[in-house]
Parts: sequence; structure tokens; C-alpha cells
Amino acid sequence: MQAAETLTGAAIPLSKPTGKTYRIEIKRQASPDAEPHWDKFDLPQRTGMNVISAMMEIAGNPVTTDGRATTPIAYDANCLEEVCGSCAMRINGKARMACSALIDKVQENGVVRVEPLSKMPVIRDLSVDRSVLFENLKRVQAWVPLDGSYDLGSGPRITPQQQEEAYPLSRCISCTICMEVCPQFNEETNFVGAATIAQAKLFNEHPTGKVLKTERLHALMGDGGIHECGFSGNCVTACPKMLPLTRAISEVSRDVMIQAAKDIFTR
Amino acid sequence: MATTVSTPVSAPPTGARKGTRHKGVQPLRAGQGHSFLLRRLHSLTGIVPIGAFLIEHIVSNFEALKGPAAYAAQVKFLNALPFVRVLEWAFIFLPLIYHAGYGMYIWLRGKSNVIYYPWAGNWLYTAQRWTGGIALAYIIQHVWRQRFSGVNLPDHPGAAFHKVQMELLHPWMFAIYAIAMIATCYHFAYGVWLFCAKWGITSGERARRGFGWVCGVAGLLLCTIGLASMWAFVSPKYRNAPADLTPAQITEGTQAPAPIGQAHTR
Repeated sequence: MQAAETLTGAAIPLSKPTGKTYRIEIKRQASPDAEPHWDKFDLPQRTGMNVISAMMEIAGNPVTTDGRATTPIAYDANCLEEVCGSCAMRINGKARMACSALIDKVQENGVVRVEPLSKMPVIRDLSVDRSVLFENLKRVQAWVPLDGSYDLGSGPRITPQQQEEAYPLSRCISCTICMEVCPQFNEETNFVGAATIAQAKLFNEHPTGKVLKTERLHALMGDGGIHECGFSGNCVTACPKMLPLTRAISEVSRDVMIQAAKDIFTR
Repeated sequence: MATTVSTPVSAPPTGARKGTRHKGVQPLRAGQGHSFLLRRLHSLTGIVPIGAFLIEHIVSNFEALKGPAAYAAQVKFLNALPFVRVLEWAFIFLPLIYHAGYGMYIWLRGKSNVIYYPWAGNWLYTAQRWTGGIALAYIIQHVWRQRFSGVNLPDHPGAAFHKVQMELLHPWMFAIYAIAMIATCYHFAYGVWLFCAKWGITSGERARRGFGWVCGVAGLLLCTIGLASMWAFVSPKYRNAPADLTPAQITEGTQAPAPIGQAHTR
């Protein structure tokens, strides 16, 4: 195996075989309603592998540990650099991005257990339906309203101070890990989840987006709204993009409270 | 780069597009229902009046360290407040029933995952539910045994010390009271922290961490005061407190706390 080169000629270290093997156990199901089962695969370990490259390796030779031929694993992944938000799954019980889960680091006694997110309906194997987040973003109108029939001219000036506030919130990759790890996000509460609240905050602070602030706050007062948060803080601990989620929840919560008080006297 | 991998997906991902109910967690019901009001009321009642009453109750009980007469004087003072029965129901029992009922509802709907995510905040979240449950079980027996059965203390404030002493002299009961004291103080201290976080008072990470220590120290102090008062009832100093005190003894006692135990055996 030869070392690859960048455009400037610098060598990129390539993945090297270590001579060791590891076992990957994957919870699979063939269809949304099929019973889940576990498939085990023994794979040669190379340096710098991640859980997604393990899936690719399985796809090349989908044979389980006990010699049974099977189908390649279905999973979502795209960028492989923790910015697209597709490959969230549970690795050794914990929700995280599979692309940044290095086999060297995550294996426990040579075993890596991979399961789909537990709170989203499974489509197949590790691929889940996360459309609830998209629905929630629509319900809080997480956008800057610009559509119209005439030229609105240039947008308002955004100060560096506003940028500093907005940028961390804009890093959200919609991976839904904050919702997966939240004890309040479940089918009993139908809680909206931290990601949507953070986006409501982002657009409430935007000079053009804030025109919908009242409507966003009213939406978040509905059943499953911001008040269902139990402040366990799991979201902010688990977030791969380190969004200030608890801060956003606290501040939007305050705005919702003030809006509710205003409504009592002015509606 | 891998995209969603290879094998064709047999069924469409959701029923949402066909108009059927989407599987899994439902989206936000924007602007619907009353859960916001109920949840915020639960949060508020925990601070006032219930939290305020808890502080009053624990501080009042600290009078026990001054002896049966001083304790009786405190009970007499509280029961002499204007509209005391109205105050009792409006600011203690009814808010408590609401807070407990809605609290259990919150507990049952949360799905603790501290086994998978054993993080500090997650432990505090889980402990808040358990301590609430412990406090509720304790309060039911405490209110029944001390307020609504046995000697009626509002009519006989002089009997207060003896009544509590009889209870706490059982080692099992003493242990139950001690556990409940710790659980309740934790629940209140963390509840104050939660209140400030949820109502946007401590929105910053640093502010929340700092206020966490403040609540921790205050809770520990409150718990110490509570446990010290419990000790007063079982300490050798006030063993064999009289079953009841006359109004004169109560008045006299606050002036000069006498070793009442001896007066009783005289």
C-alpha cells in the first residue's frame, strides 16, 4: 500500500493492518415491522478505522462469524467528517456519530456493539426515520421568512456580537442525538427536543427571522413543548457539535414565560 | 463516500405521507393543550408555597432544641395565626396535593436512561424523581399520624413535643424520618436550581454551575437543621417529656426553658 499525497505533496498516513481482528455486533431488522436480531462479524483491524468503514468492509464480504452469507448492512452516512448528521447510531449503548467512532477507541475487549437509535422508527437495520425533527422544525417555523412577490432589498446588518451568539446554534447537524439521549423525549411526552428549541432560538435572534418570534413561542407552549424539558443536561453532554443547548432551552423558556404573561394581560 | 447503503428498502419509511399516524415520537402540538400552564404551576408551587413552608417547618422545629415548652410555644404561635385553617389548606395541603399528583405524572412519563448515560445531570434528574416519591410516601404517613390522628395539636399545642417524641423513639421511625429529611431537602434544593434553570433566571452554563453550589450548600444547611431538631426529641436532655403542658407552662417555658422532664416525674 502506497502513501497518498495531497496537492502540496504532503504524505497522508494510510490505514495499516494491525494483524488483529475485532468483532462487530449489529442489531438488524429487514423491515420497519420485522423482529430485530443480532448479526456478528469478525473483521481485520486496521489503524484509523471507524464504524462506517467497518460497514463498508462488511458490504464487501457480508458473511457473519458463523459463516452465514447475509445482506450488507443498511445505514445512513454521507460526509464521514461529522458535519452531515446522517450516521447517528448507538455504539456500545451510547448514541454518537458512527463516522467519528474510531474502532481503536470504541471497542471493548475487541467487541463493538452497534444498534439503531432507539427513539426513531427503524426503516431497516441501522437506518431510522428521523422525520419528527423536520416536522418539529416546521412547527416552530425555524426559518427566515423571505418569500414574497417583490424585491426585499438587502438584509439588515448583523453585528459581530450577534454572529457570535448565532454561530454556535447554527452548527446543528440535525443528527437527533440530543433527542435520543433525552429521558423526556419519548412516546409518552412527545417532547419537541433540544435541537428544535435551539433552532427556534437561532431564528428568534435573527434580525429578519425575529418577525416570527411570537408564533414560535406560542408553538413551544403547546403540548410536548419546551416545558417538558427535565434539565437532565444529557443533550448538551452528548451533542457532537457542542451546541449550547441548555442555555438555549433556558433562554427560550424565559421568552415563552414572558410571552405567556403578556398574553394574560394583552390578549 | 457512502450514501444510504445498497439493499433496496422494501417499505416506505413512514405512514405520514399516506395520512396515517407517524410511528414513534409525535411532533410538537404547536399551540395545543394546557400542559404548559400545568407544568409551570407544578414548578412554581414547588417553590411557593411548598418550599417556603418547608423552610418554615424545619426552622420552626428547630425550637425543639430549646425544650418542650419552647416547642409548644412555637406550635401555639403558628396555630394562632389568623385564618390558620384556611392558610393550612390554601398554602400547604392543596398545593402539595397538586405538586405531588402532577409530579408523579411527570415521573411516570419520563424514561430514565442513567444506566446508558451515567452523567452528573442525569443522576440529579433521576434522583429528583426518586426523592419526590420518597418525600410523598413520607408526607402521607407524617400528615396522617401527626396532624389528623392522635392528639389534635392545634387544640393541644402543649402535647406537641411528647407526640413527636413518641414517634421518633422508635428506631425504625427515626430512620424513616432521617431518610425523608435528606430526600426532601435534596428535592427542594435541586428543585430551586431547576426552577432557576427552567424559568431562564440562570441561563448561562457558569451561572448554573455556581448556583448549583449555592443550592447544594443551602440544602445541606436546611437538612442539618432538620436532623438537629430530630436529635432534640431523642436526646437524653428531654427524655420523658410530659404528655401535655398547661398554657402557663408554655408561657413560662419560653421565658426560661426548664428541664421539663423532671417536672413531669415530680
